[in-house]
Amino acid sequence: MNSPKPSSLVSKRDDVYAQRTATRIWQELPAEDNAYITAQSRCHGYDLMALMQKRSFVDVLYLLFRGELPGPEEAALFEALMLGFINPGPRHPATRAAMNAGIGKTDPSLILPIALTTLSGKHNAAGSLEEGMRFLRKQQHKPVQETALQLLVELERPAEGDCHIAPGFGSVYNGIDLMSKQIAEHLVQMPGAGSALKWGQGFAQALTEKGMGWLATGVVAAVLTDLGFQPRTAAGIYQIISAPGLFAHGVEMANKPMTAMPFIADEDYSIEYEN
Amino acid sequence: MNTKINTDYWDQRRGKITSSKGGWKIGQGVFNHGYSMMDDFVGKTSYMQVVMLNATGRLPERNLADWMEAFFICLSWPDPRIWCNQIGALNGETHTSATAATSAGLLAMDSRAYGARTLIDGVNVIQKALEQSKQGVLVEEIVKSAGQLVGAKPTITGYARPIAKGDERVGAMEKVTEQLSFDIGEHLKLAYEIENYLSKNFNESMNINGYVSAFLSDQGFTAEEVYRMNATLVASGVTACYVDTREKVPNSFLPLRCDDIVYEGKSVRVVPEKC
Repeated sequence: MNSPKPSSLVSKRDDVYAQRTATRIWQELPAEDNAYITAQSRCHGYDLMALMQKRSFVDVLYLLFRGELPGPEEAALFEALMLGFINPGPRHPATRAAMNAGIGKTDPSLILPIALTTLSGKHNAAGSLEEGMRFLRKQQHKPVQETALQLLVELERPAEGDCHIAPGFGSVYNGIDLMSKQIAEHLVQMPGAGSALKWGQGFAQALTEKGMGWLATGVVAAVLTDLGFQPRTAAGIYQIISAPGLFAHGVEMANKPMTAMPFIADEDYSIEYEN
Repeated sequence: MNTKINTDYWDQRRGKITSSKGGWKIGQGVFNHGYSMMDDFVGKTSYMQVVMLNATGRLPERNLADWMEAFFICLSWPDPRIWCNQIGALNGETHTSATAATSAGLLAMDSRAYGARTLIDGVNVIQKALEQSKQGVLVEEIVKSAGQLVGAKPTITGYARPIAKGDERVGAMEKVTEQLSFDIGEHLKLAYEIENYLSKNFNESMNINGYVSAFLSDQGFTAEEVYRMNATLVASGVTACYVDTREKVPNSFLPLRCDDIVYEGKSVRVVPEKC
């Protein structure tokens, strides 16, 4: 008789799982008469009601991820970043996804999850932020010209489309992203600007002759690096920053007729199937 | 003098879609990879054949699509302890739509630890292992080079699994393979050799990822194709878990008291005034 195959012998592992979930972020203190109802909430030790009275939304957003309230320079830099990138703009694929959801009469509560999912990608989107932060963390202590020269020598420009020489840096529509450049120039002069932003500014300038520079994702990655955020948080922070603009554009379309956005005509839709 | 940047690539594509897949030609029909969907597919092929065509560009034989459908059943458990399924159940708690719940569970499956994305690793492991084997590398060496050591045990995608030892789904799929008259190909043969080595030396066996990765490699698929075909792999199990909680009283799924979450953060402190 054949012995049973190893995979057919199914048994529990003796892994030990936590009995309760733990967090360092938030503490909910129960009501005296009901252990399920929260009577007081604390964020990293600070009473939520006191935070509401004394601090800004940006301060508490920073606190959630960093565990401490920001100093004035850090808070100002973070707020300026959030304002600068509050809207990826109506031509960004994530915004267009939001608008498609809106015009298509998708439930408004799903417009933002749809747009943020599109924004999770790795091309000009949140999915490239972690890599961008790791790049800046590693490169910011090296001379800008050394990195620029090395990457330009190694660069293989794609035959079509844009060229991204490093995560967060490259061309848009064959040129320099002027809005990201202006936002970076503003941020880098703020007192809270740190070495990653300054290094990135030098790197972007070194790429100018080649028609490349900052991308939005690079600027956000640089500021988050300077503010001490962990690379793994970067994609989500970028999504939070972009969410207002994405949702505003999506919900703007929700009350318009379906004909208010283009539907590509048959003569402009071609099928080029290669067997 | 300003020189105009060349934007021909984008100008040529404004207001037009060129599809390599197919589309709806109004009044003529709906086309998919050269097939007429209403004439060639509806009532003639299985849904899974079309799923695989859309993901890979190749229409598989019916028996291969039936095999894939059986694999989807293997990953459609209605158990809300599984991470993606629990997200479905939690969506039931907040009364989202079934579509939102199922989509959320599917997003959760985009994981480094389980679900369709791990098949990329699984396929790469067995395809590289076969290359090594053909060069004369012994199974023991293949195992060493494919995995990391966790304690004394090698961890290789496709072998061992969290929570339990063994995998009842492998035996179920082996029966399907036999019923549908598939031979054991060179990848699957090597996968069994690796399993035998791991079973004898580390008391671990092949899991469903290892079996499916090897089988689909024998069918000529790349890692990315396998991932794309399985993009909705766990959907049905998530839906089931959503329905289960959606039809119960809200807040009744694993209710948590305040002290069911352990707070491990900073002690209570006074909020400083903003400078």
